[in-house]
Parts: sequence; structure tokens; C-alpha cells
Amino acid sequence: MAVHSPIPGARFVDPAVLARIGNLEMVAKTVVDGLINGTHRSPFFGASVDFAEHRGYVSGDDIRRVDWRVFARTDKYYIKEFEADSNANFSVLLDISKSMSFGEKISKLDYAKTLAACLTYLANQQRDRVGLVTFDEGIVDHVPPSAKHLDVILHTLDRAKAEKPGHLVAPLKRLADHFGRRGIIVVISDFYAEPDEIFEAVGPLRFRGNDVILFHVLDSQEVDFSFNEPSSFEDLESGDQIPIVPAALADQYRSLVAAHIEALTTRSSQQRVDYMLLNTSQPLDFALFRFLSMRERLARTR
Amino acid sequence: MSFLTPLFLLGLAALAIPVLVHLTQRERKSVIAFPSLMFLKKIPYESVQKRRIRDWLLLALRLAALALIVAAFARPFLRGSEVAAAPGGARDIVVLLDRSYSMGYGDSWSRAQRAAADAIGSATSSDRISVVLFADNAEVVLRSTPDRSRAVAEINAAAPGPGSTKYGPALKLAGSLLVESMLPRKEVIVVSDFQRSGWQPDDTLRLPGGTVITPAVVEGASGPSLALTPATLLRTRDAGQPERVTVTAGVLNRTATAATAIPVQLEMDGRIVQTLSVNVDANASATATFAPVSIATTTTRATVRLGSEAPAGGAVQTGVAPTASSIDALARDNVFNFVITPSAPVPVTVVTQGNRDDANLYLSRALAIGEAPRFETSLQSAEALAGDAADRARLLILNDVSVPEATAAKLVTFVEGGGGVLMALGPRASWPSAREAWLPAAIGTTVDRTRGAAAKLSGMDYGHAVFEPFRAPRSGDFSTARFYAYRGLKAVTDATVLARFDTGEPALVERTIGRGRVVMFASTIDLSWNDLALKPVFLPFVHQLGRHLSGFREQPASLTIGEVLDIDAAEIAAGATSSAARSEAGRTVLTPSGQRRDLSVRSPSSAALELVEQGFYEVRAAGREPGPVIVAAANVNVAESNLDRMDPKELVAAVTGTGAPGSTGAQDVVPDEAQELAQRVWWYLLFAGILLLIAETVLAQRLSRATR
Repeated sequence: MAVHSPIPGARFVDPAVLARIGNLEMVAKTVVDGLINGTHRSPFFGASVDFAEHRGYVSGDDIRRVDWRVFARTDKYYIKEFEADSNANFSVLLDISKSMSFGEKISKLDYAKTLAACLTYLANQQRDRVGLVTFDEGIVDHVPPSAKHLDVILHTLDRAKAEKPGHLVAPLKRLADHFGRRGIIVVISDFYAEPDEIFEAVGPLRFRGNDVILFHVLDSQEVDFSFNEPSSFEDLESGDQIPIVPAALADQYRSLVAAHIEALTTRSSQQRVDYMLLNTSQPLDFALFRFLSMRERLARTR
Repeated sequence: MSFLTPLFLLGLAALAIPVLVHLTQRERKSVIAFPSLMFLKKIPYESVQKRRIRDWLLLALRLAALALIVAAFARPFLRGSEVAAAPGGARDIVVLLDRSYSMGYGDSWSRAQRAAADAIGSATSSDRISVVLFADNAEVVLRSTPDRSRAVAEINAAAPGPGSTKYGPALKLAGSLLVESMLPRKEVIVVSDFQRSGWQPDDTLRLPGGTVITPAVVEGASGPSLALTPATLLRTRDAGQPERVTVTAGVLNRTATAATAIPVQLEMDGRIVQTLSVNVDANASATATFAPVSIATTTTRATVRLGSEAPAGGAVQTGVAPTASSIDALARDNVFNFVITPSAPVPVTVVTQGNRDDANLYLSRALAIGEAPRFETSLQSAEALAGDAADRARLLILNDVSVPEATAAKLVTFVEGGGGVLMALGPRASWPSAREAWLPAAIGTTVDRTRGAAAKLSGMDYGHAVFEPFRAPRSGDFSTARFYAYRGLKAVTDATVLARFDTGEPALVERTIGRGRVVMFASTIDLSWNDLALKPVFLPFVHQLGRHLSGFREQPASLTIGEVLDIDAAEIAAGATSSAARSEAGRTVLTPSGQRRDLSVRSPSSAALELVEQGFYEVRAAGREPGPVIVAAANVNVAESNLDRMDPKELVAAVTGTGAPGSTGAQDVVPDEAQELAQRVWWYLLFAGILLLIAETVLAQRLSRATR
């Protein structure tokens, strides 16, 4: 099923269709290559071939980076700088708590897994070192960043199941210590926690110089609350039940969700964290496109 | 208002269902798994909100629909006593006046008239009165009028007839008159002598609810009551002597006192032939046997009369009951009329080819035997048949004849006019091919069975009149007859195959054409092709064929009033030929009271005359070739002379369900129509319930859409 995209020429594929393919590598390849072909952008953004500027040699600089042509003309040592350094650490922190199993057509977890696979594949194509952490109330799987770990990551993603209740703060705090080297950290979760709590968990990652991107994955029903019949609603994680008359509560619910998203957006911009809300009914390409734009922007700021 | 099935009202408990559903169903719905109740828990959630009924109109519709449907199933009905208004409303009165001949007993009739007039006189100006005269049948002489004087005039103009009492038709008629009535009170006044013989309990007979039945019993004067029972006729015929008849009359004494020296006289054609004197014990019967009398060649009107009044010359209509009698106070049952007819033979013409008298030997001998009917056989050649020979017969037997075109045309006319034709097929038999479609079966080639086993008759239609006497076991064996040859027959679609050969081929085929019949026999009726004529079944077989084809039916010497005279059958029994029966120009009937009536020829297949008067009816054909004069004697029903009375309460109880005359009360039972009317409420309730359900569905859908 093709979805028209705002990007001319790009074919976006319905996530529900992708979820049926089953092979994450193939899915990732399909999505990423399709996107790149559609956007006609170089996949090697921020790569070392892009010249940025010259600067004066200071003691300690690698003499291999001295521009000898400039030295020949000016008889001064200049170092040639490039726009970005590739080979960043790219880690995906994937929430596999029980609440992620919710979804009408496609579960949030499946969507998130596909997204994670695509991002990892894309990063790997850029020769970044790719890693993965899955967590619920604790850390479930940890694949350290490496240029050769794509297969392991895809396999880990494939195995991931939403089984336990989740807790955002504790696992992320523990992980902050692991990411000693600067890198790109993508957190994919439904963020069912108070904004303060979320940023308490994300803050340490950011403070260590990582570029943090939050992908907030929600199902349409969570956003629209399009239920009709009065029913008992059961919390997937705690098992609590509340009798609900959707017609009576829908408006208040929607406003609460909107306020939550608004709070996350605001706090993200304050903390220089990239935040993106993803609806599982949207094609993955939106998320990837957004990611690429952001990555490019980050590279230029170097 | 009551209910036929009140247990269904328990279903009203179902009214609680929508409320319970309304209140509980929302919480009982299936559980929806939701990722997190984080936001939902933040919403202030009042438990009262979920229990509140929002769509009161919807709930009211559901409850009303349920209540209506439950009420409909409980079958409410309006009680008759509720249907009828309280005392003081206008009445619809039906006066049933018995005019059977027993009401002529003494001064019963004048007292009955007075009783009816009194009942009418008690009516107010707002009441409406219907007058019904009844005996065997009921007749409305005045329908629902407030004019009391007219009603009294109708009562005074009426007179007792010769009919016998039957309460059933009268009460049914009264019921149908009252069902249509819009007045609040309904009353039936029965003026009668309440003879037990007139009442046959009938479960289906019910008057509308609330109908008041007032019996007005007319007591007849006490005194002797004698009646004549139907006379029996014994015919004797000596060789060379005219036929003689011995008449035996029966006298019935229904009183507790013996009657002595009662004169019983026999009159024939208005002349007193003989008078006997009989003694009859109390509640017993006696017979009087008159000396045998010779029968004249024409029909004789005979009357047995109790008493010794001599008819005054020829001016008095014979057979009509005298208005008074010295024997008892009820004159009509003192006369018994009957007809003595010479046993007329059925004219049969046997047609043969050439001079083949031997071919008719067995047939002629068989037809010559028998009295009921007697067959008068004449022989004709096929050529002579083209003339008027056929007109003199009721039955034509074509014994192996080649029929020329002219004769065939004559035969067609003969049969369509009511004649019967038996065609026995031998080697000479043929029929003009142009008229072949008229025959019951197409005549085929000769089937020779002289070699090997001879053919036998089998597959007889024992339900048919011809074979009916042979139905019982050992009542004649047709299978013993051997058929050495026969003509192949192919029956047409509307013909009936009465018998078949053992090969399955038709042996006897009948077809009804016009008013007559044609029967084809596939073999001969002599010994040339079969030996049927030598078998014991031959004689009764030929007689049955003759009776059936000639349409002969034995006529009774007398009929009872209310019975119907079949004029066609009577004419045949009187020896009418086919041409006489064909004269459809009409018939004139002379009734016992001297009135002349023309019978129209609306139904040519049968002419019937209902007998309504006591005495002799005379029927004459009005054509150019007048047939015999039919005389039929009509007598009163002797059961009516039994004056035993029933308790009027019995009749009231049977019709209303209560024993007491007057209001039919709480247990009254109404006729089916009225009952249906009173119970029809359920239908409206159910209809209203369904309408409400439809409205509820529409409303619920709209509300549902609005909330979405």
C-alpha cells in the first residue's frame, strides 16, 4: 500500500504492510533505499569528504591533516577541517514494556522495531557504529555499538517481546554510564510517564554530549480515543480496570494527551533534545526523513 | 376487561430488563486492553454519571412496547356484560315466532300471536324490533324497525305452515341480526311450543354476549293427538291381470288415552275407496291394511285420512289438510298423501345389423327379466335409426352395428339430450371417422385371442355405479368369462375406463356427453366373440348398464316437506323417452294450493323443485311433445306431531351457557364472530407494540449517530 508523501517522488509504505514482511533487514533496506532514492540525497552526510574550513596548525594536531598545498603557497601550516566526522556511535534505546504491545492494525512494538531496524540500517550505511538496548523495567538486551553489529541488532530486535511492565528512569540512568563516547542516542518509547520523570531519565544521556532523539510512538486510538461502547479499560501493565464511558470521557482524555505531548515537546526543545511524535498509522519514512534532516542539521553545526 | 391467558402477564417482569440493561450493561461490556490508564485515572469520574438514564424517551418507548406485547399475549377481551350497557339503554329485540304445523294445534297459533304482540308492545320507542318466522328454515319478515305496529301486523299476517320446528337456524339468524346491532341491549324472544323434536344441541350455536333470551311458551290445548305414519305399498302382478297395490297405513297415538274406532279412509283421485276402523292403545301405534286395488295406467293420487270427512265432490283439492278435524286438534298429521304410479318400463331399443336375431338372444332375455326397472325392448335396424326410432327410447344398444353418418348424427343428438347408448363392438362395428372424436374411445383393429390363452376381464372400476354391486367378495366373478376376440380401444382423455382386459387394453369405456352417456364394450354381447353371456354375472351386469345408461332412479311414493323433487329422475322413472326429456322449453308446476309456477331452464342438467306445501305437486313439460305428468306427494314431517315439550331453560342454557332465562350473565358465551370481535383487542395491542419497537429502533439509531 503506497501512501503519498510530502516529499516529491517518494513512495512511503504503510507500516501495517511492512509489519507483515517479517524480515527486518529487508524491511529496513526497502524503506531506507526507497527514501534515499526518493530524496536524492547523499547517504554519506557529514562524511569526511566534505571540506569545511582551514585553520592554523596548533601543536598536537596530526600532521597527516596538514594541507601541504596551502603550505606550498603560503609557507604556513594549515589544517584541513571536514564537516563531520563519521563513525559516530549510533544507539537505539527501545522500550519493550507491555504497553508497547498495544495497537489496532500494527502494534507499537512492531512499529518501533521496524523503525529501529531502519534507523540502524541507515546509520550502518553511513558507517556509524550501531548499537541497541532494549529495556522494560530493566535492561533486557544490550548490543554494544559496533560497525559489525547490524545483524546482531536485527536479530535482537526480531526476538524482542513486550512482556513486562516498563519503567523509564531506572534503565536509562543505568545506561547513561555506558555511553561514555559521544554519539547519537535514539529513544523509542510510548513515554507513559510524567514529563519530569522522562527528562530526569533522558537528561544524563544528553549531559554526556550525546545527541538524543526521542521517538514518541502512539497508536491512533491512544490519540483519538475513538471508542464507542461503554467498557472496562484494563491497564496492560498493571492490570487495573476502570469502567469507562468513552463518550463521556473522550474529550478530557484527548486534552490530557495533547497536554502531555505539548509538555514533552516544550521540555525537549528546552533541553536541546529532539522530540518526534509518531503515529503508528503514519509511514516510517516520515520518521526517517525527520531523522535525516536532524542528523544533517547536527552535522552542520560542527 | 379480562384476560384469556393471564399467566402471560408475568411477562411484565420483563419491563425491568431494559432498566437493568440500561444500568448494568455498560459495566458488563467486554474488557478493552489499553496501554496505560495514566490519563484516564486523572479524569474526575463520578459513579453517578454512569448510572444516570439519559434517554428517557428511548426507555419509555421500550417499556411501553414490552408492556403492550405482554398485554397482547395475555389476550384481553371485553366481557359481554360490559359490552352491553347498563339497564336503561335501547334494546334490539328479535321476535322468533314458531310457525311449524304443530302450532296449529288447537288455538296455539292465536295465543302465540298474542304472546308475540305483547312482547312487541312492551318495547319502547327507542327499541328496534325484528320479526323472524321459523319452522324448518328461518325467514326475516321484518328487519330492525322501531315501528311496533308494523311488527304486530306482520305477526298477525303470519300463519302456521306445514314445516317442522328447528330452533337452530332461527337462533343462528337471530344471532347474526344482533351481531350487526349497535344498540346496547339485545334480546331474543322465542315464541314457540318448545317441542323437544325441534332442538338438536349445537355447540357452535351462540348468541352475542349480553343477549337476553326470553322464552314465551305457548301451551297447546290438551286432548287426543293422533298421527298417520307413512303408508307402505305392496305391488302384486299376476299374469294377465293388471298390477295391484295393497296399501297399509300406520296410526300413531301419542296421548295417554286409548283411541277407539278411529275411522281411516283411503281416497284415490278424490274418491273414497275404502274406510276402515282402527283402535289404538295409549302411546302405541296400529296399522290399517286396505284391500288391494288395481292400478290405472296413469298416476293415481292417493290419500290416507284419519276421520271420515268425505271430499266434497271434485272441487276440493285432494290431499290438502282440512282446517279442522273431529279426531284431534292437529289436523295436518291426520292426512298422508302418496302417489301410486304404474311401474313404467324403460324403453330400450336394440339395434342390430341386418336380421341377426340370434345376436340379441341373450341380451333380450336378460332385459326382459326384472321389475325395477322393467326394460321394454324393441328391435331396430341401423337404417331405421336414422328416422325417429331413437326418440322413443331412453337407451339404445348398438349390437355390433356399422353406423352410417346420418345415424351417427341422430345418436349425437340423442345422447346430448339425455339418452344412453351402449355400443357393443364386433367385427361389423364401425363409426364415421368424421365423428370419431365424439366417441369415448377410438375403435381399433380386431385383437384375435383364439390362439393361446383367451383374454379375461380384469381391472374393474368397482367404485363406478355399473360395477358397484359386484364390489363385495363373492358378488360375481367377471374373470371366468373368456374373450376370444375384441376390438382394440383407445380411450379419449375425458373418458373413463370402467374395465380392462388382462392385457391392460380398455374393455368398457364410458363418456358423459351433454346430459347423456355413451358406453363402449370392446367385445360382443352374444356368444360370437366371448362367453360372458353364459356367466352368472351377465344378467346383473346388463341390468346395471341399463339402469346407469338410462338414468333410472326409483321414485318414492311420497316425499316430506323440505325435500327436493328431482324432476328429471321422476320423468325417467315415469317412462319418459329421450326426446321428451330433451324438451327444455320449460316445465309448469301446479302447487297443492293451486298456484301455477314456471320452472326456468337455468340448469339443464337437473331440474329440482323444493316441496314446501302439503299435498300433490304436478309437473308438466311445456314443450310440443309433452312427457308424462309428474305427480309428487308431499307430507308433513311426522316427527313434528310429537308434542313432547322441552324445558325452555335447556335451550337458553345451551345457547347462552346459563340456565336462567334473562341476561346471559358472567358466563355468557357469545357467537364466534362476536367473540372474535371482543377479543380483537390483542391484535391492536400487538400492532401498537410493534410500531413502538420500530420507533424505538429509529430513535436509537439517530441518538447513536448523534453521540458519535
